[in-house]
Amino acid sequence: MNPVPTGLAAAGVLAATGAAVALVLPARWRSAAVGVATAGVGAAGAAAGVAAVSGHGWRAEYPDVLPLAGVSLAVDPLAGWFLLLTGAVAVVVGVYAIGYAGRGGHGPGARGPLALLPVFVAAMLLVPAAADVPTFLLAWELTAVTSLLLVLVEHRHGPAVLPAGLWYAVMTQAGFVTILIGLVWLAAAAGDPSFAAIQDAAGGLSGPVRGGVFVLCVAGFAAKAGAVPLHPWLPRAHAEAPAHVSALMSAAMVKLGVYGIVRLGFDLLGGGPRWWWLALGAVGMLSALYGILQAAVATDLKKLLAFSTSENVGLILLGLAAAGLLASAGQPAVAAVALAAALLHAANHAGFKALLFCGAGSVLRGTGVRDLDRLGGLSRRMPATTALVCVGALGAAALPLGNGFVSEWLLLQALLHQATDAGTLWTVVAPVAVAVVALTAGVGVATFVKVVGTGFLARPRGEEAAAARESPPSMVAGMVLAAAACCALAVLPALAGPALDRVTAGLRAGPRPFEGGAVDLRLAGVGSTIAPLWIAAGVVGLAVATAVMARLAGRPRRRAAAWDCGDGPLTARMEYTATSFAEPLQRVFDDVLAPEQDVDVTPAAESAYLVRSVQYRRRLPDRIEARLYRPLIAAVEVAGRAARGLATGSVHRYLAYMLAALILVLFAAAVR
Amino acid sequence: MPVNDQLLSLACGLFLLCAVGVLWRRELTALIGLLTLQGAALAGIAVLLALDDPHPEALAVAVAVGVLKAGVLPWLLRRILARVPAARETAPLVNVAASLLAAAAMTLLAYAAARPLVDLAPAATARAAPVGLAVVLIGFFLAATRRRAVSQIVGLLLVDNGIAAVAFLATGGVPLVVELGVSADLLLAVLVLQVLTTRLQAAFGDTDLDDLRELRDR
Repeated sequence: MNPVPTGLAAAGVLAATGAAVALVLPARWRSAAVGVATAGVGAAGAAAGVAAVSGHGWRAEYPDVLPLAGVSLAVDPLAGWFLLLTGAVAVVVGVYAIGYAGRGGHGPGARGPLALLPVFVAAMLLVPAAADVPTFLLAWELTAVTSLLLVLVEHRHGPAVLPAGLWYAVMTQAGFVTILIGLVWLAAAAGDPSFAAIQDAAGGLSGPVRGGVFVLCVAGFAAKAGAVPLHPWLPRAHAEAPAHVSALMSAAMVKLGVYGIVRLGFDLLGGGPRWWWLALGAVGMLSALYGILQAAVATDLKKLLAFSTSENVGLILLGLAAAGLLASAGQPAVAAVALAAALLHAANHAGFKALLFCGAGSVLRGTGVRDLDRLGGLSRRMPATTALVCVGALGAAALPLGNGFVSEWLLLQALLHQATDAGTLWTVVAPVAVAVVALTAGVGVATFVKVVGTGFLARPRGEEAAAARESPPSMVAGMVLAAAACCALAVLPALAGPALDRVTAGLRAGPRPFEGGAVDLRLAGVGSTIAPLWIAAGVVGLAVATAVMARLAGRPRRRAAAWDCGDGPLTARMEYTATSFAEPLQRVFDDVLAPEQDVDVTPAAESAYLVRSVQYRRRLPDRIEARLYRPLIAAVEVAGRAARGLATGSVHRYLAYMLAALILVLFAAAVR
Repeated sequence: MPVNDQLLSLACGLFLLCAVGVLWRRELTALIGLLTLQGAALAGIAVLLALDDPHPEALAVAVAVGVLKAGVLPWLLRRILARVPAARETAPLVNVAASLLAAAAMTLLAYAAARPLVDLAPAATARAAPVGLAVVLIGFFLAATRRRAVSQIVGLLLVDNGIAAVAFLATGGVPLVVELGVSADLLLAVLVLQVLTTRLQAAFGDTDLDDLRELRDR
């Protein structure tokens, strides 16, 4: 029996059951039942994905399910990779949601939101399994609609939720329209909507058609992936959605945009000319830099994580662009390494970002605030959450021992490789990309040091943080699952080697990127090796040895008060806040970020030198949004107001419009 | 040319002429008379087509069309007129001469645009199909350029007559179910418009649709 259809069918049945159960069960049992069902959907999807990446293919047609088009499904290793990724995130989120959704009330514990959760996961699993254009578009739209409803779940909790939903709705629908136009154009040009037929016909299509389809679809996919400059929905929606929804969206749904680009660029169109990949690489670099800079100066924990999502998506897109560029330059071996790096980074990001968003949800639940400037000192009150967030932050900072390090190292290996016969373009572009990755990694370390240092260590800076409560066991259990996945990816990425070999082989992108090896990743095309397990063993061993040596040989330990400049006890007011920690970075990148700062000094009566109070206000408006989107919105608004002049209320005028439209259509038909 | 085809051409000509006549005459009672005549012509087309290919269902459709378009709908319109005694004339926004010129232009356009439809089946029936299209356009034009609410009803009926004629002529007959559905729709629309007209009369003492302009939200 083929495990792929079994897993997918189980996922579908569990999703329907979970939705039905959420609507029927009383509030007491609801979130537990739905959490288990969602985790089950995820586990079934992940199992199907594991089967697919280990070589089980599957293809099926159901012509009667939908009128006109029917449903067509197929799972190859690429689809399997994303099924595995989405399913694994859903397991984490399902377990986490049991405690997070709580028992009833308005918000994530209510009937509707709980019923939507397993449906959203099932829709996301359907996207990589789709094998023709109508099925893909249907799954894509289903994902968009369910996620939008889930973003709006807490609409009574704050005034920012509705605008966030509106931004997300408009951008995701605009993206859907461009994907729709692109894929329908492609299907029409190929003469058949099935992916297999498109694959066969794509080689014979003219350059403008291929380029047009690529640009349209990639614009839509990049909007879903949250790449700059199509990102403004992302910090809003991720910040305002409930934590488990943010985790699903940031870790899994955003990756579907990446999946779309890989499927279209490498599979359906089978690679393309240089300018495609240069444009994609530019978007990737812009996303990586702008995302991490905004994250570095953000003080809202969830907004920071959202901008970090933009950054990681940028790195993934950069990897894809490098793969495409190298493939078009006749370097398939290095291209395969770059592609594998991008796909591995997608999985790594899914792991640590699911963990971090769940951690942010725990913080928000335990304290009621997500402003880092008012947090601090959580390591005492929430030790489990703090430890788990540290694991995630290590991954996000891309330092050794974290899982992000491995994939960024792979990406750098592909970029640094001196491909002597790859042409002048590559020798110019690759160093720039390396610099961008390096800068991103550096600022990323500062960002996540800020998260852990000001959010979790030191002393509480507010009453809410001082009264923090640890999360219920199921939330911690969910985060432990995610942390375990992160550790596995960090220490034993070689386990993913054969799967990535199959994915790249299935895409005909080049030879196998890895030469096998139980604990180390040997890169075939680059002639390089990394053994994260030995690195981890070395670092841990060295740390333990140093500690033991210090204990044995050094002076005996003594406890003493911290240095306080002789000015009484240290208070929380003396600590670094998130804002002050990021201030040097903000100064360095002043021209890019253009912060709006305001210092108000109120002197004591009649004296210019005795100051009564100083107020410092800082706002960091999103410049891309202000320069690009505000004028657009203003123009649309002006056009809308002008268009109201057309509607005078006169029935005759409306009838005349209809007549004019009819005559115009007939005239066009007659002239043609 | 067989007699049957000649009769068909005659019916189609009458059909188009009635539509032009509706634009020409101002008195609403005359409009209703012309509409009755047009309904009869449409029923004639349906009967001729049914005779071409004898089939009980096609004859039933023809009879139903005749009863509805030449009987029930004109009767309903007369009832409306009886309730609204003030409105005797159509009060056009575009004068009659210009309307007739526009009708000529629209007929030309219909013939030009319907060429692919004619090429589809080079028979007498298909050759007459543009007539239906022309009547659709004239109906729309009437609805858009006449003030009294009754004119809008007449325009709607012209549009529907035109669509029915195209359906008959291009496909050689319409299934009974489709015709029944369309007729029920039309009957309902006329009934609703009848209520609207009497309400307009009660509210404004007039049936000029431009009085509704006040209802627009600003």
